[in-house]
This record gives sequence, C-alpha cells and structure tokens, in this order.
Amino acid sequence: MTDTILEVTDLGKFFGGLRALSGVCFTVWRGEIFGIIGPNGAGKTTLFNCLSGALKPSTGRIGLDGRRIDGLHPHDICRLGLARTFQIVRPFQGMTVLGNVMVAAYGRHPATADAEHHAHEALRSIGMAHLAHLDAERLSVAEMRRLEIARAIATEPRLLLLDEMLAGLTATEAAALCDQIVALNGRGITIVMVEHSVPVISRMCARSIVLNFGTLLAEGTTQDVLRDPRVQEAYLGSAA
Amino acid sequence: MNRFLPAIVPSLLAAAIFAVCLGDPYFMEIFIHTALMGTISVAWNLMAGFTGLISLGHSLFFGIGAYVVAYGHIGFGLPPLVTWPLAVVLAAVMALAIGLLCFRYGLRGYFFAIATLAFSEVAFLLVSATPWLGRSDGMMMPSEDETLLYLQFLEKWPYGLMVLGFLAITLFVGQHLVSSRTGFYWRALRDNEGAAEALGVPAMRYKLIAFVVSAVLTSVGGAFFASTFAFVDPRSTLGVDLSIQLLVFSIIGGLGLLWGPLLGAALLIPLGELLRTAMGVGFNGVNIVVYAVLLMTLALLLPQGLGGWLKTRFPAMPRLGGKPIRQGDAVQ
Repeated sequence: MTDTILEVTDLGKFFGGLRALSGVCFTVWRGEIFGIIGPNGAGKTTLFNCLSGALKPSTGRIGLDGRRIDGLHPHDICRLGLARTFQIVRPFQGMTVLGNVMVAAYGRHPATADAEHHAHEALRSIGMAHLAHLDAERLSVAEMRRLEIARAIATEPRLLLLDEMLAGLTATEAAALCDQIVALNGRGITIVMVEHSVPVISRMCARSIVLNFGTLLAEGTTQDVLRDPRVQEAYLGSAA
Repeated sequence: MNRFLPAIVPSLLAAAIFAVCLGDPYFMEIFIHTALMGTISVAWNLMAGFTGLISLGHSLFFGIGAYVVAYGHIGFGLPPLVTWPLAVVLAAVMALAIGLLCFRYGLRGYFFAIATLAFSEVAFLLVSATPWLGRSDGMMMPSEDETLLYLQFLEKWPYGLMVLGFLAITLFVGQHLVSSRTGFYWRALRDNEGAAEALGVPAMRYKLIAFVVSAVLTSVGGAFFASTFAFVDPRSTLGVDLSIQLLVFSIIGGLGLLWGPLLGAALLIPLGELLRTAMGVGFNGVNIVVYAVLLMTLALLLPQGLGGWLKTRFPAMPRLGGKPIRQGDAVQ
C-alpha cells in the first residue's frame, strides 16, 4: 500500500453564506508531485490557506503524516513539516535575500551561525547563492518566486505547497523553475502544486485533483482527470 | 567584525560627551535629559522600528517606573534598590496584559497605536485624580540621610554616569536582540506577518517579547527620572507629550536603526534648548514655531531619518544595527 503524507477529509470553508470550499477529500502520497487545477475562484488558494493554517477550516479534517493539523497555528504546522509559498510574493523588504531565508531557517536552527549556514544551503539549492546579500526588494519577479521557494525549503519541510509559482514568468523562467521543482522532489520533498496552466500540470504531476466552485470535480491520474467531461466543461464551457 | 559595534560606538561617543559636560552643571543637565530620552526612544524603536508595533502609550511604562519609585519612597521609605526592580516587574506585567489583549484581537497599525494611547490616558487620568499619588500636582520625595542608598547626590554628574550606564546597557541588550533570532523574527513580523507565520515564526510570542522588553526598559527610564529629580507629576511622566517625543526622536533619528533615536534626541533636545534660551525671552512661543518648522524640514528632507541618511551617505558602515526604514513603512 502506498504511503500517505497528507489526508484531507470533507474539508469545508464558509465565509458567511459563501461556500469557498465544501466536502473536499483527497490524499497525497509521499514523494509525489501532486497537482491542483481549477479555474479562477475555484477555491485553490483557500484550500492552501486551510492546509497551512492561515485559515481555520469550517468543517472536515486534515492529517499530516497521520497527525491532525487543522486548527493549529501556522507556525506549528510549519514546524510539523508543511511549508507553503504565496501566489502573491511576500518578501520581507527590510532584509537581504539571506536574511529572508534565515527567518525560515531559524525555526530548526536557533543559533545565528547555524541558521545562516542552512539559509546559504537553501539558496544554493535553488541557484540563488550569488544574490544572498542583495536587498530582497530589488529582486525581479522570477527571483522573488525563487526566494519564496528558498524560504519554504529552509524550514526543512516534508511537504511543500506551491501556489501558482509560474504565473507571470516567461517561458524560459518557467521551464527553469519547473526543473528546480523536480530537483527538490528528487531530494525527497513531497510537492503539492496549484497551477493555472494545464500543460504544466500534465507534464509534472502524475496525479491531480480538479476544483470548481469550491467542490472537488475529479481526482485521479492527471491524464484521466483531464479527460473527464465535467473537467472539460468547467474549463472550456459546455459548448465545447 | 564585532557584532556589538552598533552598541559600542554610540556608547563611547556618549561617554565622550559626558566627559565634556563634566565641567558645567547646565550642560550636564542637558546631557542627562538627552541621554534619558534618547535611551527610552531606543527602547520604543525596538517595538516600532523593528517589530512594526507603534505604541503611543509608552508614557504608561515611564509613569509606572516613576510613580513606583516615588510612592515607594514617600509612602514606605523604600530605597531604589527595592523600588526599581518592583517598577520593572509591574511594567512587564502591564505590557504582557495589554499585549495579550491587543494581539489576541489582532490589533495592528493605527488601531494598536490608539489602544496603547487609551491605556496610558486612563492611567494619566487615574493618577491625576488620586489624592495619595499627589493628584495633578505631583509628589516631592523627601531628602534622606543615607544619600547613596536613595541615590540622592548634590551634584549632577553621578546621575549623568547612571544614565550613561543605562544607555550602554540598553544598546547592548538591543543589539543582542536585533542581531539574533529575535530580531530577525521581529523584522519578519513587521514586514509581513502572514508570511512570517507561515515560515514558522510564532507571531504572538515575539510581539509580546518586543512589547515587554521595550516596556521594561522604558520603566527603568521612569525610575531613573524619579530618583534623579526627586519629583514626579502626571504631566511629565504619564502625559502623551512624552510618548510623542519618543516617536519624534525615532523618526527624525532613524526608525529601524538601533542607534537612530539617540541621534534624533541628541539633535533635537539641545536644539530645543538652544532655541528656548536664544528666543524664549521676549519672543515667547517663537522658539516653538522655529522648532516645528525645523522638525518638518528634517522630516521632509530625510525620510529615512538622520541615521538612515548617514548610512546612505557613508556606505562604509554596512548594516550596522539594522536597516533604516522609511516613515510609514513600519505601519501595516
């Protein structure tokens, strides 16, 4: 039987009368790259916010390595090995690139010298070592995306949630980032990625789910999921 | 490079100024006032400049320090040896309580500022109406025979020496904190709390640490004030003017720079004194107008404060004691 790392059961999040998410269930296996697809407003980012603790789910449960994490503080969830990036990049502007990553590394390495060492490691692994001493606010969009990843992996996660990392990047930048994501996965980090672009998901993720209007439309191998008529309808409209 | 350089250099400079002022009681008085205000502005800036928590109620903690020392002396004959630690504990407990309340309900930016202002104004009004605390007239502390025990000196310089020590300790504690994990967490919370939490920063705990450390240092300043002047009153120890001064010195000196507020106080307090003596007689109030115009000019010309400007001007002092931030950046 395949080893489960993330188990989401009947997850719901309501804002007043608005059902941003309801009845979402899926399972992520250890070591895979798992895709979450869906049109705008499907609830992908709300789902990430619930998983990472930024939002408290209204219903359901989330298990990380068999441990229930819904309702915990974001920093506790991070400590348990779940890290995330933000679709809208959020660098700490008053710090250097290295400082940004050190904030993340301090979680497991309280001494400054250790944190600095591990932050350097994280930057090197994502190919940003040469930018370490630059002010974070001076990075390009593509570099800020990589900084988001560098910070997330500096928390030494087992599971990494990537929220639309490729949006707004050029084709070359996107391809380079995809290679780096695959390399991270090769180092044993399970990856869940939200992506708008179907070709990217179908290339990188063996299994996926599709969200639409806050509900789960399909789950399975990416090929099957994309062939599902309901998914095609959600993406292309019923006329297609 | 020694990581305590941002504490060592300003401390030595202050010591040099102290030495220069030794010859003249009037200068010594200005030195004491400047160093005291500068030091508690440094403490205020740990919260505002580094953590992004603008407190407009820091006079509360200064007042706690001053009134615990004064009332302890007048009411129970307690010496500073007892009352200073008592003041610190009370300030810490008060900061913890206010912090828990404010952060529990997610107060930030202007809302946090108003909440802290409200707490200090309540204390101001309570003390102003309490007979055994001298009401708004304040209280005079009696002279004692054991002068050393009660820190009562005829000359000014021992107080100058004490405030110099307070300044140095504050800078060293501050530099230790801002150059370690605590300081990184503070700046992360200031720049983006949501991202910081997602990266494992316990927001509540580190905001409380900033608040308590800042409040404790400020209460020591208040305790020093009472012991030095042997007199406390609500206006000068609990008033909003005091809280605003901390903000002004920090902004003019450099928010988010450890030693920035010292620079602000060292510029503005002697300047105000100079204007007062030069123009106060005959042209009452003109000095305040000139002071205000100078203040606005400085704020407009140096948006990163005097310290921030120095750092951009002389990049040879890289990253000493933090990075200056622009006015308004601290408020999310």
